[in-house]
Amino acid sequence: MWGFGFVRAPFSPAHGVVRAAAGESPHAVDARLPPAEGCRIPPRYGRRTALRRRSGAMTGEALRSTDLRKIYRSKGAPPTEALTGVSMVVHPGERVALLGRNGAGKTTFLRIASTLLRPTSGTIEVFGYDADRTPDKVRPYIAVVPQEGKPFFHLTPREQIYSYLRARGLGRETSKARTQEALDRMSLTEFADRLSITLSGGQRQRAMVATVIATEAPLLFLDEPTIGMDPFARRSVWESLRVLTRRGSTILLTTHYLDEADALSQRLYIIDRGTVLVSGTAEDLKRSVGGTLKVLLPEGAAEVERFRTFGSCVADGESLTVIAAPERLGELMDVAVRSHLTATVGPVTLEEAFLRVVGRSIHED
Amino acid sequence: MKTELEHRARPFRGLPAFLWTEVLVQAHEELAMATSMIVQIVLLVFVWVLNPGLIGVALVGAVLFSMFAMGQRVLNEAAYIRIDHKVSDLYLASPLSAEAYFLGISAGVLLVYLAPVVVVATLATVVVHLAAAEVLLLALLAVTVWLISASIGYVFSTAFRDNRAIWAYSSLFFNIFGVLPPVFYPFGLFPAPLRPIVLLMPPSAAAAILQAAIGVTVLTRPELWLASGGLAVEGVGLFLFAAYWARRTVRGG
Ligand SMILES: Nc1ncnc2c1ncn2[C@@H]1O[C@H](COP(=O)(O)OP(=O)(O)OP(=O)(O)O)[C@@H](O)[C@H]1O
Ligand SMILES: [Mg+2]
Repeated sequence: MWGFGFVRAPFSPAHGVVRAAAGESPHAVDARLPPAEGCRIPPRYGRRTALRRRSGAMTGEALRSTDLRKIYRSKGAPPTEALTGVSMVVHPGERVALLGRNGAGKTTFLRIASTLLRPTSGTIEVFGYDADRTPDKVRPYIAVVPQEGKPFFHLTPREQIYSYLRARGLGRETSKARTQEALDRMSLTEFADRLSITLSGGQRQRAMVATVIATEAPLLFLDEPTIGMDPFARRSVWESLRVLTRRGSTILLTTHYLDEADALSQRLYIIDRGTVLVSGTAEDLKRSVGGTLKVLLPEGAAEVERFRTFGSCVADGESLTVIAAPERLGELMDVAVRSHLTATVGPVTLEEAFLRVVGRSIHED
Repeated sequence: MKTELEHRARPFRGLPAFLWTEVLVQAHEELAMATSMIVQIVLLVFVWVLNPGLIGVALVGAVLFSMFAMGQRVLNEAAYIRIDHKVSDLYLASPLSAEAYFLGISAGVLLVYLAPVVVVATLATVVVHLAAAEVLLLALLAVTVWLISASIGYVFSTAFRDNRAIWAYSSLFFNIFGVLPPVFYPFGLFPAPLRPIVLLMPPSAAAAILQAAIGVTVLTRPELWLASGGLAVEGVGLFLFAAYWARRTVRGG
């Protein structure tokens, strides 16, 4: 354990998206924003929330998994235990990132949650519905960007988005308006009427994400949505997802871009070898490695013993990196000055924290 | 305005839109459309050269073969969009039902590849002087064969993880079932001991019934029952199985 669990305080506004107090419609969403078609909170969820609120119990959840396990059994290969007991909760209106090394089990989890794969054991609920036993009840509330998916090559992004919304049962006008909005948001207007086969890899990925974003579904699963996108396009995705959560949708995404998880997610789970290694905010994770500041001492390796008390130290050649808490920065700088060392201070990145946390787990094994 | 969620009780609502998507997607495959009748044309030429008197039988057979070959396209299309594009995930994790997804692909294939079949059917009607009842019978048999082949195609599509494997098996399967048995030639020319087998194969069973109707072939009563009963059972049974299978395999089989 890494000493931190769920930190809910930063998300309280999101938790308040459902205003399901007595006398109010259980469909009501945040009054500051127009209720978007397709992103209403399911009635059952709303009722539950109302009941729980009244009884003073916990609020409802967009997703809850309990001890979820998955063993893949394929012919001619030994069974693979992809999930060894994942328990997690995603609250309505949250943006949660699922992080982990290759093969950690992220896609497996998302596929089970999105009713595309059956778990071996454990339970998973989406808005209170059992995703394994009653997948049909869950499907209207979700939309999925699959890992490494590609749009239909012989449709234009506009055709693809529009026809997908229509296939989900949305009306003509709504579909048209949402299609245009998604194209604009993903900066695809210029390519909107070109067959996807003529688009670049990143543009195709944008078309895939735009297709799913346009659904404004209550719960969106995005498996590495920004893979292959340029920094501008990635930021367009982030902004679109933020808008969606402000409108009441919930986002669960996976990514290997730790800056993305940092910028976008309000909470994150690190999955390692099929189980949750840590959960919390990006800040929690950074703090868990001993501090949120990184002090680089280019010629400090020889003086490593003087800095050990400030936090974890990594010597690389002649240089030394110290991860320290902000409160102790002054003290640390004093020691550096006394040792005639130059120092550069910067924030610990989520990637560094991730490497340490996951690396520590590997090391412990 | 109704919301998407309010439509959840109508899992086929999105079917027309998905079907149209499939039509649009496949209508771009001009080459595939152009070559969809190659085997039929080659076999028609063979028959015409060898025995011009059998061209009517061969034309009727070409219609039934074409409907059977649609299953191969369903197999290829369903596997392609699942394995290569993964867009299947978008649709299967959505309010559109798995059954509607299967029907959308199957009907999309039918619409895109139907036009040349209608031309051949019209030609057959003229050449064989089919009566109205015989035209209706041909249509009924054609629809049954399509239903069976689309069902087989979709079920097969879920069995593969790699498109290369599909290319190898699909044309083999559909050609052996469609070309080898008496579809393009009279049922009576087929070796007697093996006839019950071909009467259980959808395209040859349909061809035998039609040949009997137009007087080219004589079927005994048990043979007629076997062919028509077999087609009916296969049509209904395989279609229902494919619908069940479509739902089951959404979640990894
Ligand atoms: N269809 C399958 N059959 C057998 N094993 C599988 C299958 N799919 C995934 N696995 C295995 O399950 C484990 C988890 O895979 P998963 O795809 O969930 O990982 P991931 O965290 O999404 O990885 P990545 O970041 O590379 O996408 C891996 O060990 C993988 O090899
Ligand atoms: Mg993955």
